[in-house]
Amino acid sequence: MTRMVRSQGLTPRFWRFEAMDRSAPVWVLTAAALGLLILLPLGWLGFMSVSGEGGITLDHYARVFTDLRLQKALWNTVVLAFWSGLAALAIGLPMAWLSARTDLPCKRVIKSLVMASFVTPPFLGAFAWVMLAGPNAGYLNKLYRSLTGAEGALVNIFTMPGLVFVVALYTFPYVYIMIVNTLELIASDLEEAASILGANHLWVALGITLPMVLPAILSGFILAVLQALALFGSPAILALPAGFHTITTQIWALFQYPPRVEMAAAFSVPLLLATALLLLVQKRLLGRRGYAAVGGKGQARRPIPLGFWRYPALLGCLAVLACAVFLPYGILAKAGFSRAWAQPFTWDNFTLANWSFTFLYSSTQAAIVNTLELGILTACVGAGLATLLAYIINRKLIVGHQLLAFLVLAPVVIPGVVLAVALFIAYTRPPFLLYGTLWILFVAYLTKEMPVGYSQSDATFRGIQPELEEAGRILGAGRLRVLYEITAPLARSGIIATWCFIFIGVIRELSASIILFTPNTKVISVVIFDLKEEGQFGAIAVLGLFMLVMTFATVVLMQTLLGRDVLGSRQSGG
Amino acid sequence: MLGVTIKGLTKRYGDVAAVKGLDLLVKPGELVALLGPSGCGKTTTLRLVAGFLKPEQGEIWVGEHCLSSPAAVVPPERRRMAMIFQSYALWPHMTVAQNVAYGLRFNGVTKPDRDRRVKDMLRIVQLEGYGSRYPGELSGGQQQRVAVARALVVEPEILLLDEPLSNLDANLREEMRFEIRRLHETFGITTLYVTHDQAEAMVISDRVAVLEKGRVVQIGTALDLFDQPRTRFVAEFIGKTNLIDGTAESPSTVARGALTLRVASADLTPGAPVVVSIRPHQIELAPGEPASASAPRGENVLTGTMLRASYLGDAVDYQVQLEQSDVVLRVTGPTPPRARAGERVALRIAPAACVPLADSA
Repeated sequence: MTRMVRSQGLTPRFWRFEAMDRSAPVWVLTAAALGLLILLPLGWLGFMSVSGEGGITLDHYARVFTDLRLQKALWNTVVLAFWSGLAALAIGLPMAWLSARTDLPCKRVIKSLVMASFVTPPFLGAFAWVMLAGPNAGYLNKLYRSLTGAEGALVNIFTMPGLVFVVALYTFPYVYIMIVNTLELIASDLEEAASILGANHLWVALGITLPMVLPAILSGFILAVLQALALFGSPAILALPAGFHTITTQIWALFQYPPRVEMAAAFSVPLLLATALLLLVQKRLLGRRGYAAVGGKGQARRPIPLGFWRYPALLGCLAVLACAVFLPYGILAKAGFSRAWAQPFTWDNFTLANWSFTFLYSSTQAAIVNTLELGILTACVGAGLATLLAYIINRKLIVGHQLLAFLVLAPVVIPGVVLAVALFIAYTRPPFLLYGTLWILFVAYLTKEMPVGYSQSDATFRGIQPELEEAGRILGAGRLRVLYEITAPLARSGIIATWCFIFIGVIRELSASIILFTPNTKVISVVIFDLKEEGQFGAIAVLGLFMLVMTFATVVLMQTLLGRDVLGSRQSGG
Repeated sequence: MLGVTIKGLTKRYGDVAAVKGLDLLVKPGELVALLGPSGCGKTTTLRLVAGFLKPEQGEIWVGEHCLSSPAAVVPPERRRMAMIFQSYALWPHMTVAQNVAYGLRFNGVTKPDRDRRVKDMLRIVQLEGYGSRYPGELSGGQQQRVAVARALVVEPEILLLDEPLSNLDANLREEMRFEIRRLHETFGITTLYVTHDQAEAMVISDRVAVLEKGRVVQIGTALDLFDQPRTRFVAEFIGKTNLIDGTAESPSTVARGALTLRVASADLTPGAPVVVSIRPHQIELAPGEPASASAPRGENVLTGTMLRASYLGDAVDYQVQLEQSDVVLRVTGPTPPRARAGERVALRIAPAACVPLADSA
């Protein structure tokens, strides 16, 4: 018997192309990329937080924990995060239950509106609510005064409760999505068993359904808290005028002239650790799969009839969505088209001047161009990277792929402000002097959006069984041909979805941009922030509306072309 | 046609060896079933033969070429094999005709030839006219036939099947068993067929290799395995059996308590523990008292009491408590039932039907 196969046109040494050899270049490149994106900046952050005049010092940390102002900022952040998490839960849980489990009317409309709230940048919502509920000129307060003849305000948005309210309005979708997805997995026979035994619907909901979704509820709560912790825009708009700080605004303040970078670094590290800890807890709660696995195949369920409560429940949901979507969008539209936003909307007041002013203003134009450039670039690079990594990790093409997956998802732990501080420290010095260019923003956005992009790509490749590729290979197609002819067409819609998610995330980003921008490298969100200082609400509204239009255009593109929506469920076929 | 030779194949996943020193010889044109419970290594073996996995030890030869060894593995696309997967793995974005034609594109087959061969093959699997449909529009049985067509049209040297009938309902499965056997007899391709269903293995294959814990414990025709199981595992896995733990009294008899059986062997070691396997349908049931101690043609004659007689429609299943020992024997006999519960019965068992098992110790 002859040994190695020469007659089939190949040599044994060439085919000793094992997993180990293939992985080396990938590992080197990825390690370098991740090192640059994450480890280097975080390393500098840590170093800066302990460096002082005479070398290593813990002075900065000492100041963080003893300075009264800073202590207050810490406390305010805890209060904000906790209460807005709770509020998000109080809104999201009932809405999710109503959507997934009952015969609530107009469910698709509700779901779409929740999605609209999900993609609305929270700082835009905060601006809108200033126009709605500012104590003096706020629309609602003026309405109240004209109706009741009272002197004071009905609500003052420039308070901690006001801030909690606004934050909750834009973080409750996270809770909603998490719980709806879980509820849709639970077969209803467990609940029906209870019903047959005589339990009424409320009892069933509280006694059977609730415990099963508890992990998802807790996880949703933690997600909402994490979002609240990392927010910069809403606290900056609502808390600063009220005279209090949160950690994120405090870090930003430390960057204003003269910048106290070491203090900012020292302040960032506890925030980072807190976020990491919360994420660890959340992961434990959900196990490996990242969502509450309750078994069941999501078979058809009997929706619980609400009877008399149908329309009250619908009104409740619509009231929430009015606060999150209708009222803010409405006031933004009004402000965009009014000469003086606080005056009633009459024909006199109507103007298109805001639009021409904003779009003809050169720095706004530059900002729009920057935003679009960065959005497209980050989405393309991010989607490409995410797709490649997801494929490699899903098909286990290299050794240690689990570690790689962990590293790709790691940036989710870093709040935007902290990331910005770290990047600032790392890239305002040689060898990579990126500060002052759009590149530092690109790096920030790419790092921040990688987890979202990777999650979507991961889901895409999980849906493409390896057997589909193996079938191609055994019939004679090489690995690359299989990728091109079989995998790519099947992954196409998932890749486009990844692109869209990253694009949307970039155009609305604020917390990192606000620290890393320079006069030449502003983006839309930063310009909006500038305009706030000048009280130019008309221009703010215009830019805000523009941002919303871009976001919704992308979402609609995704929905019509690809048949999937932002909330992650396929539209056709259920 | 080429044969497949597997020598000492070992594949580990972490600390666990899915395949452990597996040896197998598949003759050219033969259909060998790899049969065993889940976790026995049959799918891993198949994937090693296909070239998707690399062995830690051992070699896989096809004809005179070594295709897999710890040093190198010829990639799947160069092995001139075809595979039918449990999930069929039809490409949803291609039509049936495109699916079937896929492998032909890499063999230098011209387009007119390709179309003709695809059409012929679709006719053979009884899917004529389905070429322009998409897999999503077909039923499970139809999808399975597309998978078969796709594999056969490339005229592979070796055909690999990974539990292709598992996803079909019972009636269709039976029908498809005969279909696959018919196709094998038409085309004569050397085939490895993985299954956990013993009836399927016995209908479809020329020989069955029974796998346990990563190695082949017995290989033979269905008849060999049924009548001459070598180990406890094989005896219990293939069909039903009675197992009697006893001790060898003489080179050809085994005793348990007052029970003595003449067995199908003449070289037992007296005093050694022996397990004897007796198939239920090879026991003859006669109601009433046995004739006096005559043992016609050296047969074993036993007496006992009927515990239960279950009428199964096409056969009767009896349980008999033996007088001579604590053993309860299961007997399968033709209808109508010959005795009822509580009656005394006699059992006649030929020594050839009492098979001492090799792993008795």
